[in-house]
Amino acid sequence: MTESVFPEARGGAGPLAGAGAVWQVARAGVRRRRVQTAVVGIVVFCSTVSVVVALGLLESVSAPFDRAFAAQRGAHLVAVYDPAKAPASAPARPVPAVTAASGPFAQATVTIPDTVEHLPPGPLTVVGRAGPGGPVDRLDLWSGRWPARPGEIVLDRPPNPHWSYLLGVRFTVPERPQGFTVVGLASSLSRSAESWVTPAQAEELRPSAAQMLYRLGGAGTDADVRRAADAITAALPAGSLLGTQSYLAVKRDHGRTASAFLPFLAGFGVLGLVVAVIIVANVVGGAVVAGFRHIGMLKALGFTPNQVVAVYLAMILVPASAGAALGTVVGGLAARPLLDDIGLSVFNVALSPWVYAAALAGMTAVVTLAALVPALRAHRMPAAPAISAGGGQPSGRGRRVHRLLSGARLPRPVSLGLGLPFARPARTALTLAAVVLGAATVTLAAGLSGTMTAYGAAAQRVGHVHTVIHVGQARFRETPPRHGDAGIETLLRGLPGTVYVTADAWIDLHVVGQPQPIMGRFLRGDSATLGETIVEGRWLEGPGEMVASPAFLEQQGLRVGDRLTLSLGRARTQATVVGVTMSGEPDLIHADWRTLTALSPSAKATQYEVRLAPDADLEAYHAAVRAADPGLRPVAKSRTDQNAVTVIGFASLLTVLLGTVAALGVFNTVVLTTRERRRDLGTLKSVGMTPRQVTVMMVTSMAALGAAGGLLGVPVGVAAHRVVVPAMARAADIVMPAFMIEVWSAPLLVPLALAGVVIAVLGAYVPARSAARLTIATVLRGE
Amino acid sequence: MDSHHDHDARLVVRLDGVRKEYGTATALDGVSLAIRAGEAVAVMGPSGCGKSTLLNMIAGLDRPTTGTAEVCGRDLGAMTETALALFRRRNIGMVFQFFNLIDDLPALDNAALAAQLTGVPARQARDRALELFDELGIADRRDAYPSALSGGERQRVAVARALMNRPALLLADEPTGALDSRSGEQVMDLLIDLNQIGQTLLLVTHDAGLATRCAGRLVELADGRVVAEHTLEHTA
Repeated sequence: MTESVFPEARGGAGPLAGAGAVWQVARAGVRRRRVQTAVVGIVVFCSTVSVVVALGLLESVSAPFDRAFAAQRGAHLVAVYDPAKAPASAPARPVPAVTAASGPFAQATVTIPDTVEHLPPGPLTVVGRAGPGGPVDRLDLWSGRWPARPGEIVLDRPPNPHWSYLLGVRFTVPERPQGFTVVGLASSLSRSAESWVTPAQAEELRPSAAQMLYRLGGAGTDADVRRAADAITAALPAGSLLGTQSYLAVKRDHGRTASAFLPFLAGFGVLGLVVAVIIVANVVGGAVVAGFRHIGMLKALGFTPNQVVAVYLAMILVPASAGAALGTVVGGLAARPLLDDIGLSVFNVALSPWVYAAALAGMTAVVTLAALVPALRAHRMPAAPAISAGGGQPSGRGRRVHRLLSGARLPRPVSLGLGLPFARPARTALTLAAVVLGAATVTLAAGLSGTMTAYGAAAQRVGHVHTVIHVGQARFRETPPRHGDAGIETLLRGLPGTVYVTADAWIDLHVVGQPQPIMGRFLRGDSATLGETIVEGRWLEGPGEMVASPAFLEQQGLRVGDRLTLSLGRARTQATVVGVTMSGEPDLIHADWRTLTALSPSAKATQYEVRLAPDADLEAYHAAVRAADPGLRPVAKSRTDQNAVTVIGFASLLTVLLGTVAALGVFNTVVLTTRERRRDLGTLKSVGMTPRQVTVMMVTSMAALGAAGGLLGVPVGVAAHRVVVPAMARAADIVMPAFMIEVWSAPLLVPLALAGVVIAVLGAYVPARSAARLTIATVLRGE
Repeated sequence: MDSHHDHDARLVVRLDGVRKEYGTATALDGVSLAIRAGEAVAVMGPSGCGKSTLLNMIAGLDRPTTGTAEVCGRDLGAMTETALALFRRRNIGMVFQFFNLIDDLPALDNAALAAQLTGVPARQARDRALELFDELGIADRRDAYPSALSGGERQRVAVARALMNRPALLLADEPTGALDSRSGEQVMDLLIDLNQIGQTLLLVTHDAGLATRCAGRLVELADGRVVAEHTLEHTA
């Protein structure tokens, strides 16, 4: 055995042997390929940003609620019983599905008069509890203290210092003329009540119900909760259960907006990830092809095949890791305003570390895998042929196409450009895929914009209501109107420009048996002209009818034709569901004015919605309203829907991001092609091809690909839109009419098909210009 | 004055004090050279003496750092890249040591390319290329791709491409350098024939045999300077 020339050399073949050499060669490769290094870094950065935002949102939909709910040992099921029918101990008897129970607590309703400042008028659910703790629904008493004596009350408010002004507020209600003093503010994620008093105080308020709170062993689905409720109430006398409330409905309510954003952000996240994989594979593939001689020399020098692969992986992982790290940070920062925009900041939580870890590790792993496939080609390549293959100038492929094109009646730079993509089919396929996904992203964003614009117009009832006249409220220190309710309506109908007037009263009331109140919007006048979009059934036509949002009906387990009992104070009336609105809050119903009259004969309208004549001047109309009664406050109806604005804004931002990434894919391909075809370019320039013709040739080579990519990308984008939009609608409890989903038309699709060309030309132009500036003498001297 | 003007008008190439620097290295150091129409001039010298740089200056592929390079009456140093490309297209034909054919195009299309770039329709360009292929004896190889051609055939295709636009000046950079001796002889004969029918020729080579057979004048370069010029006599 011969002695090594370098006695200090470790001759082992361990996994780390030669790592220094690998790193040195990889580092030199990174320095030599600055453009590709930058492309990989930017692409991975952009994709990581969109992935972090999507993952952050995914987590925010449920994680903060789940954490807070678990900390409070929230009630999976709130059941309300009629104490006259159910024996006091019966609801608390052991049932296998129940892991913990609390109650029964006396539940009463008091009515806040509209003269009380700081508190909304209407019914207030009051529950008698000895303290905020207990085995279930441990209230977060975040300000003040628990009631210790009669007349003290704790209000349910989210933990936000904004509400602290309520501490110490005194108010009286008809049910307790001596009044209440607010001594504390607590938050219940179970939404078990709107306020709490001592048990003795609750008994004094003549409770109409008894509340039980349950934690369940299995409560993952609506069916689980329903089964548990059935088991709990199975042995109770008929009619003793007044109502139940599942925590899943509360949870969905918390995450509804975020859930609606999830499908489209996830869609963009997936698109970003796939484009990144394609581009990384293309970059590494190009580096391997261009580096045949380099690979051969490394192997000739003694690099093992695995070390050669390691060189190529390291070359990619350097910029990819930097891009992923920066993208994770920027993604975290970008996610925050989005979460604020869609109302998730109520939990005031930062993204979990797993979001950052998953994005960082996941993107790095995906990039490694994408790089590994072409790098393995370097692994397999024998040294001698690799050295003789030289600089990787392609030859032999696409000749038939070149021959066909050379006879075509096209300027020669154009026909040469059209033939270029056929020389490298794999690279062309990857570039085409990037352009297809870029065009699909643009199409998806355009479709989303179309859908959200149509939705926004329907939600804001654009063209149906031009102005809303609010009635001044003394308790808000506003000037009260000089006219009465009927007088205001008559006044408005008599003003020039008025076409239709609908009087609205927004009243808090209860569905009998539910601890949480709902909002009733009672309508009088020309309510059929309000422009509410009805997706099932019909609009209101008479007394005792109501329409509601899909979310309300789902939460209450109702459908068109069902009846329910509404209560306001001690008054009750029944209403039949006759229609379903396109969207709306889960606690909002619309009903005819006569339904309100049955509950509160003296109720008055709080606002009037007016449609104006097409030629009416809105400002002049508002001035006329104020002049007629200073107690009326006209506000122009907004024409923009905030959700639509947010979705369109984010979709546009992500489209620019992913469009740039796709264009970088094209950029990279043209850089690779230019590098490989330096000799051809030099030759063409030596025989008189002008710089402009070189630019045209290189741009044409990608523009043709862009045109094909656009044609393929549009159907992909349309398909993605068909998946994403219904998923968004489902998550937001919206039933979208078909015209909001079928937003595609020829005038929209044709420019979208050109998106691929735009991406390709934008990506190709800069490297094409640099190809045009190649110094021929340098290129040809190299040969 | 008039006679001087007439004398200059027949000049195809006029270099005056051309200096070319690449960073700190000087490739050409004050070269002056004149080539008249119909002349065949060979530039010789050892490797690195500046032969190829001189050729690039005349072809408009590179620009002098100082001095004037005038070809066909145009000051190349004052022209834009586009103007240089158009100028090359009309006035210069180039033959390289390693042929520089486009691998993806058949032989005939490689030659036709030079005319097509000027806007000549494909059919007309191919007809002209075929005429040249006939004259150069490679018409039967018109559909072959460069990889299927011998070295001599490739160089003939390159010559055909160089002649497509009937250039005022044919530049040849080591045209036989990559050829076996037989093919080299054929290319040499071809260049002689072309010169004899009036084609102005500038040949860069380190092959003394080629220079003396093809050229009427020999320019010797060393360290970027013209160190000697000889007129060569040929027997008919």
